[in-house]
Formats: sequence, C-alpha cells, structure tokens
Amino acid sequence: MVKHARYLLLLPGLITFIFFLVAPLLIIVMMSLYTPVWPGYTTDLTLQNYIRYITARQFPTLLSNTFFTSLLASAICLMIGFPFAYCYSFKIKSEKARNYITMFLLAPFLIDWTIRSVAWISILGDQGFMNSILLSMGVIGEPIKVLFTPTALFIIWVQTNLLFMIFPMNLALGRMNPEVIDAAKVLKAPPYRVFYEIIFKLALPGIICGFIFVFVGTISDYITPSLWAGGMQTIGLSVSTYATQFLWPQASAGGIILLIVSMAVLYILLKVVDIKKLVYE
Amino acid sequence: MLKSNCDFSKRIFLRQNIVNLIYCIADRRTFRKLYISRTHFSLFLNEARGNPHLSKMIEVKDLVKYYKKVCALNKISFEVDEKVPFVIIGPSGCGKSTLMKILSGVLEYDSGEVYINGKNMKGVPPHKRDISLMFESYAIFPHMKVFDNIAFGLRMMRKDKDYINRKVAETLELVGMSGFENRSPLELSGGQRQRVALARSLVIEPPVLLLDEPISHVDYQLQRKLMEDFKILHKKTGATFVLTTHVQEHALTLADAMVVMNTGVIEQIGTPEEIYRTPKTVFAARFVGDVNLIPGEVASKQGNNYIVKTEIGEFTCTTPNSREAISPGVKLAYGIRPEFIDVDSKGRTCDNQLKGKFARAYYFGNYVECVFDVKGKVEVKSAVPTEQAINLKLGEEYSLGWNSGNVVLLESPSVIEGLNIEEVIYGK
Repeated sequence: MVKHARYLLLLPGLITFIFFLVAPLLIIVMMSLYTPVWPGYTTDLTLQNYIRYITARQFPTLLSNTFFTSLLASAICLMIGFPFAYCYSFKIKSEKARNYITMFLLAPFLIDWTIRSVAWISILGDQGFMNSILLSMGVIGEPIKVLFTPTALFIIWVQTNLLFMIFPMNLALGRMNPEVIDAAKVLKAPPYRVFYEIIFKLALPGIICGFIFVFVGTISDYITPSLWAGGMQTIGLSVSTYATQFLWPQASAGGIILLIVSMAVLYILLKVVDIKKLVYE
Repeated sequence: MLKSNCDFSKRIFLRQNIVNLIYCIADRRTFRKLYISRTHFSLFLNEARGNPHLSKMIEVKDLVKYYKKVCALNKISFEVDEKVPFVIIGPSGCGKSTLMKILSGVLEYDSGEVYINGKNMKGVPPHKRDISLMFESYAIFPHMKVFDNIAFGLRMMRKDKDYINRKVAETLELVGMSGFENRSPLELSGGQRQRVALARSLVIEPPVLLLDEPISHVDYQLQRKLMEDFKILHKKTGATFVLTTHVQEHALTLADAMVVMNTGVIEQIGTPEEIYRTPKTVFAARFVGDVNLIPGEVASKQGNNYIVKTEIGEFTCTTPNSREAISPGVKLAYGIRPEFIDVDSKGRTCDNQLKGKFARAYYFGNYVECVFDVKGKVEVKSAVPTEQAINLKLGEEYSLGWNSGNVVLLESPSVIEGLNIEEVIYGK
C-alpha cells in the first residue's frame, strides 16, 4: 500500500482532468447521439445528427470557411513571423532592443478583446484610420472596403496571433548555437543551403509549434469571422447558433465534427515533427 | 641555391607571354579546366601575376579587427608555410578565435590583407575558400546523426553517394569513431563530439585545416592521445594545420612553427625551440615555459658577455651571436628557466652563484618546483628532480647556480608599448 502511495499525488490533477475535460466531452459525445425532438430530445441513440450535418448543402462552405481560412491565417503568420524571429534571434544583438520589441509585441494583449475588436472599426472602416490616410495621400480615389470582407479577417487574425507564432520560433532559434551556421558555411554550404539545411530545419519544431498555436487559436474563433468578415459562416458559429436555440444534439454533433477534423490536422502536423526537439540539449 | 632561384623566375618571366596568350584565347570554361587539372599551370599563373609567395599557404598582412570600439586584432602579420603544423598560442581573449574566424571567412575584418594559397580572400565567402575550420564549441549540427554531420560537407560539394559512404567510413575510422554512424550527437561525450567535429572538417580534404582549441576541453589522457593523433593525421593528409591553444605543452609538442599572441598583437614568431630558448619579450618568455625574471640593468659589456646588475647582486650572461647588442645602462629583465638552476651545486661549475632560503615546494610528480627566497627580495624557482628534492629541507639555505649561456636578457616587457618592465614582472 505504501509502495503505491506516490500515485496519490496524481489524484488532484487526475480529478480535475476527468471532471472538467473527459466528463464534459463524454456528455457532448452522448448528446450528439441523442434523437432531437421539438422541444428537447429523447435518449434514443442515432447517427442522424451527424448525417444531416455532413449532408447539408452548406457543409462544404462551412468546412472551407473554417479550415482553409485558419490554415491560410497560420501560413500568413508563418510568412511574417519567420523573418521576424530570424532577425530577432540573430540580427538584434542588444538586450535592450530585444526587451523593447518583446514589450511591443505583448502590448496588444494588455487590451481587452472586446475593445481591441471594436478598435478595428476605427482602423479598417470606410472612414477609418487606414482609408483616411490613403485618401489624403491620394493613393486611392475612394475608400476601399476592408471591414466586413475576408481581408479584414486575415488582418485581425494575423495581428492577434502573430505573437503565438513568433515565440516558439524564437525559442527554437534562440537555442541554436550561432556557430552552427558558420560551421555550415565553412563546410562548403552555399547560403541557400545553409538556410534550408541548418536554420530552417533547426527551427522546424518551433515553426510547427507556432503553426499549431495559431491554427488552434483561429479555428476556435467564430466571433471574428462572423463579426468582421461580413458574417462568414463557420462550424463554430453553427454550433453556437444551435446551442442558443437549445438544439443540443445538433450543436454537439457539430462540435464533435470540428474536434475530429482539427485533431486530424494536428495529428498530421505532429507526425511531421517531433515537438520534443524544440529543446535541444 | 639563390642563383637557381633567379634563373627559375627569369624563365617564368619569359613564360608570362605564353600564359597571357592562353589567358586571352581560352574561353572561361576551358581555362577553368586547365586551371584545375594542372596545378603547375596555376602556379605559373600566380607567378606571372606577380605573386612571389609560392610556398606560402596563408599570408596575413596588417590585419585589423575591431569589435565596436574594442580592438581585437591590431596589425597582425604572419605567414604559414605549406604543409606545416602551425600553432597560435595565447591567453584566452587574445584574439585567436577571431583570427581563425577571419581566416575561414565567417567574420569580416576591418583592414589588412589575407591570402590563402596565393589568392586574396577579400570578399570571398567561406564556402569558396580552400579551408575548413573546426570550431572551439565544435558546433555540431544537433538535428543530424553523426553520419549526416560528417557527410554534410561532401553533400554540399555534390559528391556521389558511394564516394560519401566510403569517405565518411574512412574518416570515422581515422578518428576512431567507427560504429557511431547512427548515434545522435546529443548522446555523445565531449571527447567524442570533438572527434566528430574533427572528422567533419577533415572529410572535405581541405588544403588548410584550422582547428580552434581542438584539445583544450578534454581530459589529460585524451589530450595526449589526440596530440599523437594530430601528428599522424598531419602526415596522412598532408594538409596545412593551423591550431590555436592556450596550453604551452600542446604548442611545443605539435608545432613546427608558432606564433605567440598577446591581446591583439603578435609577440613572437618562430619555431618552438627558438621561442623557448630565445624569447624576445617578457610576455613570450612567460607564456611559453616558466621563467625566473629579475629586473636589472646592463653594467658592462664585453663582446657577447654581459654583466647585469640587479638588486640581489651582479650576474653574467652570454648571449648568442645572432642577438643584437645591448648597450650598458639599459634596463632589462634577467631571465633563467627553472630547469637551468642547479640547487646545492657542490662540485659543479656554475658561473653564477647565489644563496637562497628554501621557502615553498610544489610537487609535479617527476620533478618538484622549489621556490627559494633570496635576501627577502626576490623569489627564485627551480625545477628539482624528485629524488634530489627529497633531501632538501624547508627553511634552510642552499646555494643556487646557473650557467651564463642559459640566461635570456629581455629588454621589452611586450610588443605592446608603454609598459614598465618592473611593473610587468612584479605586477602593479
């Protein structure tokens, strides 16, 4: 008995985990299999919630709105974030400058989400900051419509998620011995091969990690697309809509589908790279 | 010898026209083929372009490097002959690594010239130089297996697969790491990583191999083995080895020619024996081997024989003929290596004698370093063989003797100007 006493230390964590994650998830899975009747549901098990959801006319649009926008946003974050992380890790030598940049990156997170969202109206709106500057400079003749288009969605998502992309990449690049790059150069590697073979490959765990952070962050966000991208329909939004109408079985089925597809994407990403390698040595 | 050299250069001068003709006619591709396939052609070409240094593998002229406002290298000049094991020795922070990085091309320099194999290296990127560098930190690629680490250079040179497999196996055998191909470098010990780094630099068969502190970070036993290995490797590969170290033993053992560096400047260039027997400055004398230094002044001079007046008496010194004369009255340091000082020298003839109280002893196994206190003013060290040292008693007076031929006279404390010799010897 005493021998196994150490397992008791697992108990608090395990209880929290089961009570707040596994149990609710099981409830949702069960709920998604119940038969909906108006009003409420019966406990007869059925798959018709899933079948109806998947065979619905809007499902392909929902799916692409959810996944491709998220993937694209993650890709844009990567495109912007990687050069940034590279400069931050190798080009900026002074500790002071780094601290300022970190603070600058963190600043938006000191503002509440609601305020930050509303602020986009005054920035991207027809009479907003961006348009008025472009107009006064004579770059454009009439205000360009950004707000309530998918472009606005990507701008907002990139702004809010860039940090989650940059930090893991910084971690990966920061752990790198800069002499490794020099060593590759001395070993006859031309610059583009130094970049691919050494810098990119050593940063890959960080890249995948950041990609997952951004992907998870954006796929679970259904409010931004529906608010600022002209009411873009996503799976998350449909779940929320069902839920507000107390259509629990349908909402649960939507939630489970979202979960399965995003897990599949994560599984593929994690297959590509071993996250443990984020920390060498 | 000299005459034939002149004839040779004359002949080359005549050939210049032919070379120029070929240079003009041949289109770039054929020219390149010629250049690569016939070494002597490129040698003539270099000669024709007015480069008199044929056998110099590395040439550094007035190299200056600043890190912001800190001067790391201050007008460094030296030459390394082809196929010679060359050692750069100096204390940590003296600019050895900086120099190595500049030679390999990963670091820019501010002014001066660097020639490798007769070619000016200004603006030549590292991957286009005939050089390989083993980093002090080893800089092993952590994401690659041992095999891939070593094969990296060959892959970059686009060698075919069979060649790579054969070459990597050979090199691993050479450094004694066969069977480690599929290990991750993170699982290796310091000494093993060091060998992987060495193999990685060797495998691309560079004409010049730079090794930055290659044996300083492993245990003594392995250091000895590696030093032997380097000698064997050097014979096998025929490359020009340039090593840096801060351990005098490594330098004296490995080098055919060496440079003593002191914060950004070169103190002395020469063979290990030259530097050990006839150091030019106090710094060089102290850094290569141990030395007793007594500040003094030249009292009188007769040919090569000097009498130096110090605060503990007058001593004689016979300098080699090659040394330039020192005029009387010059302040200098009178230096004797501890192994030349005879303790209790009854019956032995030494032309300098001194009495000293045995103050301390440091045991080194095969010898004991005995420190004698002379008149309470100066401490004199002597390396005494252990069996003799057993008979010496602490606190007793002994006679110390040495021969004037083993003495070195050092006029300058260092190449760095403005240093007071007494301050350098006793510390401030």
